[in-house]
Amino acid sequence: MAQRGRNVAGYVFISPWLIGFLLLTLWPIAQSFYLSFTDYSMLADPVWTGLANYRHMFGDDDSFTKSLKVTFTFVLFSVPLKLFFSLMVAMLLAKNLRGMNVYRTLIYFPSLIGGSIAVSVLWRNMFGADGYINAILAWFGIAGKGWISSPDTALGTLILLNTWQFGSTMVIFLAGLKQVPQELYEAAAVDGAGSFRRFFRITLPMLSPVMFFNLVLGIINSFQMFTAAFVITKGGPVQSTYVYAMFLYEKAFKHFQMGYASALAWVLLAIVAALTAINFLVSRYWVFYEAEGGREG
Amino acid sequence: MMMRKGSKFWALLAFAALLTLAGCGGSGGNGGNGGNAGSGNASPSASPSGGSSEAPSSGDGKAPAASVKLGIMWWGADDRHEATLKALDLYSKQHPGTTFAPDYMAWDGYWQKLPALAASKTVPDILQMDAAYIQDYVAKGVLEDLSDLDLGGIVDPAVIDNLKIDGKLYGIPLSQNAQGIAFNKPALEAAGISLPQKNWTWDDYFAFAREARQKLPKGKYGIGDASSAWDWYNWYQTGNGGKPLMGDNGKTFTLDKDLFVKYQQTFADLRKEQAVPPPDKSLSFVENDPSADPMASGVVMTRGATTGSVAALYTLMPDQVDVVGIPTGPAGGGWAQSTIFLSVSANSQHKEEAKAFLKWFITDPDAGQTLKMTRGIPINPDIFKQLEPTMEPKDLIGKKIYDMSVEKALPFYSIAQGFTEWVDTYKSTMEGVMFGQTSIEDAYDKLNKLGQQIAAKNA
Repeated sequence: MAQRGRNVAGYVFISPWLIGFLLLTLWPIAQSFYLSFTDYSMLADPVWTGLANYRHMFGDDDSFTKSLKVTFTFVLFSVPLKLFFSLMVAMLLAKNLRGMNVYRTLIYFPSLIGGSIAVSVLWRNMFGADGYINAILAWFGIAGKGWISSPDTALGTLILLNTWQFGSTMVIFLAGLKQVPQELYEAAAVDGAGSFRRFFRITLPMLSPVMFFNLVLGIINSFQMFTAAFVITKGGPVQSTYVYAMFLYEKAFKHFQMGYASALAWVLLAIVAALTAINFLVSRYWVFYEAEGGREG
Repeated sequence: MMMRKGSKFWALLAFAALLTLAGCGGSGGNGGNGGNAGSGNASPSASPSGGSSEAPSSGDGKAPAASVKLGIMWWGADDRHEATLKALDLYSKQHPGTTFAPDYMAWDGYWQKLPALAASKTVPDILQMDAAYIQDYVAKGVLEDLSDLDLGGIVDPAVIDNLKIDGKLYGIPLSQNAQGIAFNKPALEAAGISLPQKNWTWDDYFAFAREARQKLPKGKYGIGDASSAWDWYNWYQTGNGGKPLMGDNGKTFTLDKDLFVKYQQTFADLRKEQAVPPPDKSLSFVENDPSADPMASGVVMTRGATTGSVAALYTLMPDQVDVVGIPTGPAGGGWAQSTIFLSVSANSQHKEEAKAFLKWFITDPDAGQTLKMTRGIPINPDIFKQLEPTMEPKDLIGKKIYDMSVEKALPFYSIAQGFTEWVDTYKSTMEGVMFGQTSIEDAYDKLNKLGQQIAAKNA
């Protein structure tokens, strides 16, 4: 009886969160699953069409294939680049130098602005045909180009932008680096291990759980990349930056095909879930947890 | 020791994760707002419709004494924003109890925001509408039928009839508008290029581009590349006697293969001859941006402009802009009619008040004096007569576009229901042709197939 009373009290205490979750998260998710089987313009009632949306998607929608290609390219380049770059910066900032806190603050500072509209507008001004990059190139007599208006470089500028926003990934790496016991380095140094060897034999294995965490989050975030493509390139030119989220947004809010957009969202979820599952499966071969007593290989 | 270090690590990790998640949430849900910020929405008001639902309901919505807050939304440049805000103040002074929740932005942001508002049924009471999109919004049931609003003696009945969609009026016309081409007169004269003449033809237009290539220095061009603008091609097809791309409210679709290939091949040749800017340059132009506008930046000698929008360009390059109509074919060219409307939301709680405001907007002399030519030549002849003596050069140039176009004008063709997707596909497909990734034949097949599919769905 007392046990039950306690349970009720518990549920009452979490009810604001619970109700919010049920109404604002679970219900819309269920709705969108239903809508993915309908033709729904948002202003008229949805019409059940069965698997027609999915058939169109995998059958004859060029934009779907194109946006998948663009998104995978983006993920393939931006995730490793960002991991590499933020690990390098984190290692620099992990050194015990005088005034390091100032450097850490300065380097992390741009990340406070985050992946915002303002940064995207800045990027547009840097890489535009009349942008700063071309102005600098002109000093050296090099004729620039419209970086964001050429199909072969537009996606590159977005990847660069994503890499530059390394702050939060870097902070997690930094925390991980601080966690590596100094004794290991000292012992390895006594045994004559060089700095490369120490990095590959100590830092990387000790850091692998953090690396795994960053990798999984990085892949998920990159798949959802939207703001930069929306603000800087609008998906163009020639759909070269037509990332999946951009495609989904246009279907939903520009072409009023909410049913189709819902189907797209579920396919995105399936893709991201599958990749995350693969990540977890593969992780046992390279992620090293100290607490498990070094179960490796 | 180890323990303390560990908890610190987890705290940091949690903090970092929080940041990541926050960032992710932000990028996911920013869609609607993003557009506004990007296109310089200066409005401080949060939700335009929020105001109207907060206002105390006036029973049957007819009691004029009760206080009413009307949401109103429009697009435009700064001078239009300022004039409209002043006009709203004026209305509130003349009609105590009526206040406004204004929301204003640039063209791009407006059409990015409106679909989201329509989908969530939070369209403000009064909204500006454009002929390009009104059919689509009527089909979606967003707009209120305004047929019972008496505009006798204010607007020519023939104009009203012309604007009706399925026999009903969904937008009050605000102005006479027309499409033309602005050109940089002193620069053309200095280079010794023959100036565009009234009612010039498409052949004249392309010849002008080639003459400009010969007489202008490298990196400057006579005309812009209009390959990927669907409306330009539609003018070409209809001007040469073809049917409009989207006919009968989107139930038919006509993409004339011969005309399409001829038009696109001409631009492909012009690109090769460097008589139009290279594609990466063409796609980086932003109209009315001082450094990126094709004309104001000095790169291109001409660009499209309308009666209602040319003032912004004129302000960027005073005394340099002259205008001419869209090139004509045997059937005519361009358009000259009302394209900017005020509409009332079908979901408005204050329809009567909104309609009263609409009528005031085009009849009150003081309102006319405040609004001036910020939406083109006022539709109400009395207001126009009152303004005429005080018109500035930037206004007169708008009037000139109308005068240049009206003789040969064809109807204004809007994007029919469901064809927004086709217009987007036209743009991206033709960009592929511009960059040499797609052949004109393939582009034709793709665009024709999609157009026929959408028309079949509408039928």
